[in-house]
Amino acid sequence: MSKTMSKSHNVSEAESCIHGAANRSSRRSERRRADVEDPFGRALEYFSQVKAGTPVKGNDALENNLVLVERVALGRGLPPGAVATLLDFALSLRLGSSVCSRVLKFLIPASAVPQDSVVRGVSWFCMGKMPVSAQILFLRWILTMFDLIDSKDQLRSIYGFIFSFVTDEVLSPYVCHLLYLLTTKEHVQPFRVRKLLEVQAKMGRQPPLTQLLALYKVLCPEMIAISMPSKTRGGFKNHNLPWKTALAAVLKKNKTAEAPSPPLSLDIKEKASTRKRKKLHHLEVPQLSCGPEIESSRGKAVHLQQLRSFAQLLQNLDNIELPAQMGSLLSSSLALHYLDCVHDESALLRLNFWLGSVLHEEFLFCSRDGNPENSTEPSQFLDMLISTQDFLQECFSSSEFFLFKFLAMWDGSLHQPQILSLLSDIPPLPVSRMKMFLFEPLQQLYFTSSVFFKCGVIECLRSMLWKWLTWHFVQTSHKELDVSLSSSRTMNLHMSEFLELVTELVQYVGRLASAGLQLENYHILLHHQTLNFYELVCDVYLKFNLPLFLLPPSGVIFPSLLATDPVTVDRLGYVIFRYRQNLMSAKEHKQQKKEPSFHISRDVFREFNLLMVAVVSCLWISKDCQVDVGTDVHKALVPLRTMLSYCKNYNLIHHPAFLNYAIEFHQKCWPEQTNVDLSSIQGKKYWYWYLEFLFSQGFDGLKDFIQNNMDHQSTPVGGH
Amino acid sequence: MESPVTRLPTRRRTKSYGRSCFEASSRFAYTSGQLTILRIPTTREAPRARNIAERVDPEQVTLLIKNEWKLSYVTPLYRFRHTHLKKYSKHLSAFIAAEKQQGTAVEVGLETGYRVTFSTVLGIAETDEDAETVFIQIQSKPMFAATGDALKVVWSGWLTCVNGSPEYLHSLLPDFVSLPLFCSSGPENITVVVKSWFEKMFDCRFGSLGLDSTSLQWLCALWTGCHPDNNIRYLRLLWTLPTQPPLDVSYTVNPQDAWELWNSVRQEDSVDGTVGIDEVKHFMAGLESHFFRHFKIYLSSGTLRKVSTALGSAQQDGKVKILCSDYLATVLTLLTECAILKMPI
Repeated sequence: MSKTMSKSHNVSEAESCIHGAANRSSRRSERRRADVEDPFGRALEYFSQVKAGTPVKGNDALENNLVLVERVALGRGLPPGAVATLLDFALSLRLGSSVCSRVLKFLIPASAVPQDSVVRGVSWFCMGKMPVSAQILFLRWILTMFDLIDSKDQLRSIYGFIFSFVTDEVLSPYVCHLLYLLTTKEHVQPFRVRKLLEVQAKMGRQPPLTQLLALYKVLCPEMIAISMPSKTRGGFKNHNLPWKTALAAVLKKNKTAEAPSPPLSLDIKEKASTRKRKKLHHLEVPQLSCGPEIESSRGKAVHLQQLRSFAQLLQNLDNIELPAQMGSLLSSSLALHYLDCVHDESALLRLNFWLGSVLHEEFLFCSRDGNPENSTEPSQFLDMLISTQDFLQECFSSSEFFLFKFLAMWDGSLHQPQILSLLSDIPPLPVSRMKMFLFEPLQQLYFTSSVFFKCGVIECLRSMLWKWLTWHFVQTSHKELDVSLSSSRTMNLHMSEFLELVTELVQYVGRLASAGLQLENYHILLHHQTLNFYELVCDVYLKFNLPLFLLPPSGVIFPSLLATDPVTVDRLGYVIFRYRQNLMSAKEHKQQKKEPSFHISRDVFREFNLLMVAVVSCLWISKDCQVDVGTDVHKALVPLRTMLSYCKNYNLIHHPAFLNYAIEFHQKCWPEQTNVDLSSIQGKKYWYWYLEFLFSQGFDGLKDFIQNNMDHQSTPVGGH
Repeated sequence: MESPVTRLPTRRRTKSYGRSCFEASSRFAYTSGQLTILRIPTTREAPRARNIAERVDPEQVTLLIKNEWKLSYVTPLYRFRHTHLKKYSKHLSAFIAAEKQQGTAVEVGLETGYRVTFSTVLGIAETDEDAETVFIQIQSKPMFAATGDALKVVWSGWLTCVNGSPEYLHSLLPDFVSLPLFCSSGPENITVVVKSWFEKMFDCRFGSLGLDSTSLQWLCALWTGCHPDNNIRYLRLLWTLPTQPPLDVSYTVNPQDAWELWNSVRQEDSVDGTVGIDEVKHFMAGLESHFFRHFKIYLSSGTLRKVSTALGSAQQDGKVKILCSDYLATVLTLLTECAILKMPI
């Protein structure tokens, strides 16, 4: 026993040892000075040079140095060199195993653990002189510090030595864990598999062993088959208890400026552990695993499930092997980042087959066995799909196919928010296809459903248009960047089709909105959804550089104009104001560039002018006026003219939406008058005061509209 | 039909998942895929009796016609190779053993309690596009068997494609093998294991395949049409009527009467070996009106659940039995078609 051996040495030897050290260091005087100033360095030197057999009991030098080093270790951690020295000192058992375990227990690295020292430690370990408790402690120490070891290549190259301890009953759990951390594909060999299976047969299904085997299966599925029972999924125990708090404290202290990359977990979706309905497995996203090695793949392939951070993903981006089941990429955010880089057609097709089949089975073929009331799982799945498509900013073609089929049989209420959200992801398609598969069925649902569904549909179509416009904008601006790619001729062709599609969509929404408003008795929510849509449409030219000017139909304009709540009128004002800005800027642009392709129909201007006349004459002109719209009397004007005769009293004072404000204003102007005579506001001075008063109430849309369209000198016609 | 995935140029910031919709060049060129391509056919080839034994190993044929099969559809198999069947056998047997004793690892290639055999059934495929049929048999060793005891077949199943829609098959990428029809016979738990093995190995998915009443009517008419060549002995139809409680109606027709009715609705101009859907509907209407005359029950208000003759039987829930190998191709063509119609993309 090393302990008894060490006792036989005497004190003089130890002294001479120290003297010897002092003599040597005297030759390097500078170093010595440093040592004097730095007792820690001296302590380390002591540990590196202390001879085997130095007595432990009553050795003050040893005790002092241990205490000193321990204090430093627990305070700010040990530098790499110190870790190496101390590890070597401890594992060599020069001063016995009690000192060894004492040292190991406070061996807290400040930043990194040099790999060499660990390899050296393993070689001490393999010599077989260490007592079992020390061996276990050392293994636990490696497991705890594993992430801090600066590189692992040498450790991997001595995999076989470590593997040989797998048969040891006591060490096996720790060894399995360590192997689990070290294993790469090259390590999985038939003879090792056989050995592990032997151990399994002898010792039964121990979780660490099972985990190691499962990893072998992940890396080389052709060699081993294993299926994990759902209950015992817990893998390795934490072996870091002696060091945990100290290590955390030291790391926290040392981590100053270093900002870690955001954690990208590989397993966001913990499966609902108590899954009773096993038959519903088709809604489960499969686990990441790699394919069978029946055809040998590239040598240095990396598996996605081995990656832990975004940085690792970037480093290995070119070597990543696609998983066996493409659907598993939807299971984690890291994998989604990778999916964004996948350019393999087959892989995407596999993903689409999987996704399409899941959607079909669940929602179209309804193969759920009973239990129709449980709808949380399907809606969770749809939510996952929505967030995935949001992340990728694109729609899977399988989900597009599914939606088109599903729309034909949808009742409009099942998973309504999710389905509408998915619909808005549908990419631009040819008009005929869009009409047949989307517009027609959606229209039927729209007219037969509640006002809230109508609002949902309008919002969905708005969001869809917004996505199209954004795509288009990105695409065109991207094309402008590298001219070499784009041939303007094809661009124009497809551009025209895109314009046709957008026009069709806007007109479709126009029809839906005007009929819907009428059906729902001008429901205020629907009003606002509709105006929301037109707030997007009116700015298409300035915001998305698309020369398209589509005005709302009169079925939308006039109900908004005559609405009883002021916010609707205000928003209409803003919409018209933006249309005007867009048209003006387009006109300027046309005059400057003189591009032949850039053509705005005269009808657009005429229609807009008519709209302006109608709105202005309604809000501004009071009762005595007659509208003169010039000689070019449009057919649409005939009803307009008759309507105007009714809405004479809809100027900003008498408008039902603003009447309240007019009365308030009147009371403020003439507090003593009990008889409210609103027409007195129409005096020039009061009129502008009244406008200022309205603007101060937050009607910014109205303000923009009036200030940009009205000549400030003009008074409302018929004013006093 | 254009491939669902069009080639993506390398220099691109954006790309699509499944199909490029960003590319101006391809966005609008895309045809609507399955939504317009795959239609239920309105005419079929009239069944012709063929001695299949000339083309297919008779032993294998007996395997196919012996059992009642439960139908499923499968999405195309990724990287399935007919040349690797031996490896698949080893792998699947280890997989089954591992599934049986959850948590215990099993080395691939060792003897386990199960023996799996994959084999190709040559000659079932009708066209060049059809992939060859794959037959899987699982045998188990009884627990206390003597060494000489024969293995017991516990499960069998096969994947096939007969006269699959050429447009569909062409649209697939070369990495995929389409064997859309999966028939299985044996304990459900083994079927589940086999399916999940396939899903993991070839990134495909299974779904159950039922037969709607139109498909059943087709089978009914096609089998009846075979009567002159091959005695069908009986034509038995099973309806369920939506009464409270549901009323099951079993309707057995004399084979000769059935054939005469079928012959009478056959149109003159369609003698060129095809059968039209109108003829099938007329035939069914004839049977139903006969029933109404006697029992005053409209069978058309119920659902057709089962059709059976001496040549085979088929049920609404996707259970099919083929009793006569001469018409294997006709039945499998119809079933393949049903399976392809279920494909998600």
